[in-house]
Amino acid sequence: MVPIEESLKNIWKKQEDCKIKFTKEEINDMIYQKSSSVVKWILIISILEFILPNIFLLFTDYNSSIEFYKKYDLTNIMKVYFIIHFIVILIFIYIFYKNYKNISVGNSVKELMKNIIKTRKTVKYYIYYNIGMAAIVGIHIFFEVFSSDTFKETLPENANLITIWILALLIFSIVLLIFWGIYIAIYGFLLKKLKINYAELKKNG
Amino acid sequence: MFSFLKICNISYSLTTYKQNQLILVTKDLENKFVAELEEHQNIIHKVCRTYTNNEAAHKDLFQEITIQLWKAYPKFRGESKFSTWMYRVAFNTAISLYRKSKRNINTSPIYDNLKELEYQGYDDEHDKQLDLLYKAIRSLNDIEKALALLYLEDKSYREISNTLGISEVNARVKMNRTKTKLKNILNP
Repeated sequence: MVPIEESLKNIWKKQEDCKIKFTKEEINDMIYQKSSSVVKWILIISILEFILPNIFLLFTDYNSSIEFYKKYDLTNIMKVYFIIHFIVILIFIYIFYKNYKNISVGNSVKELMKNIIKTRKTVKYYIYYNIGMAAIVGIHIFFEVFSSDTFKETLPENANLITIWILALLIFSIVLLIFWGIYIAIYGFLLKKLKINYAELKKNG
Repeated sequence: MFSFLKICNISYSLTTYKQNQLILVTKDLENKFVAELEEHQNIIHKVCRTYTNNEAAHKDLFQEITIQLWKAYPKFRGESKFSTWMYRVAFNTAISLYRKSKRNINTSPIYDNLKELEYQGYDDEHDKQLDLLYKAIRSLNDIEKALALLYLEDKSYREISNTLGISEVNARVKMNRTKTKLKNILNP
């Protein structure tokens, strides 16, 4: 049985120094240790997420892609897509960097959480953008290819174009879904605790 | 040619002088920080004991808080007391930044086992009560833990509202809830 109110404060005030006590030397060593804070992980994972959607482009055979675009007359439209994509990435990186710089441990608890979530949100929108862009470009390519004479000539007599469309879209959606699933898993894993606490602080009354 | 070399030489010595001064200033800052932290370390220990339940995690969190304090130290302009600022950074680290490392998960709550070592020669009844109090606070959620600690440390609602970033009214409401919860845990 513990007595309440003021006596809780009395118990609290009477506590001696903690048994674990660090010397100046130990503290000095500590400040040179590496931080393992969630912000550091958010930075590392976000940079990976900025790079990963584009990294597979490096592994594609550049020449054969060019050949492919030429064959179906897609060179110009792909150039436009590429320029748009490049500009959008730069904008995202700029916003991310700005938000990241705003994260300060000297802020109030709520402000800090808000800034971390905001920083992470930029990456969330970036991923949505990538999935959306991939879907648009993908469907566009399918459309151009499937409706071109070059493609139709390679088809056997009895081939059904609708079946090919459905199959192509299905495989394509699965790939995008996997990509989205991985992202949601990482996002949830990183921010679960933070989001619960933020909701608790935001609760009014 | 000679004068050019001489200028180069002078500017070189100036740069080294500046660099040396910079190192001295950094070293100065470091010494000041370490001294202040050592003096106020009990604040961090209280936060660690509230947010962790074993010694390894306690030390781990202490280290992370120290790193965060040191990183933020150049920006600390002394608008608030050093101890107030420390609380803020310590709570921020414990609530938002700290990720438990795997090696800590399997350890059993050691504060109980440590108690005999820890408080040998102290008032036994008081230790028991303090231990119960810490246990009760540990069963609250992360935000309530901070509220309980700030309450026990006699902080004003203004300071609590500044630390957590919520309005004073909200702080009062939350504080009342936390106190009721704490009482219920201690006297079911």
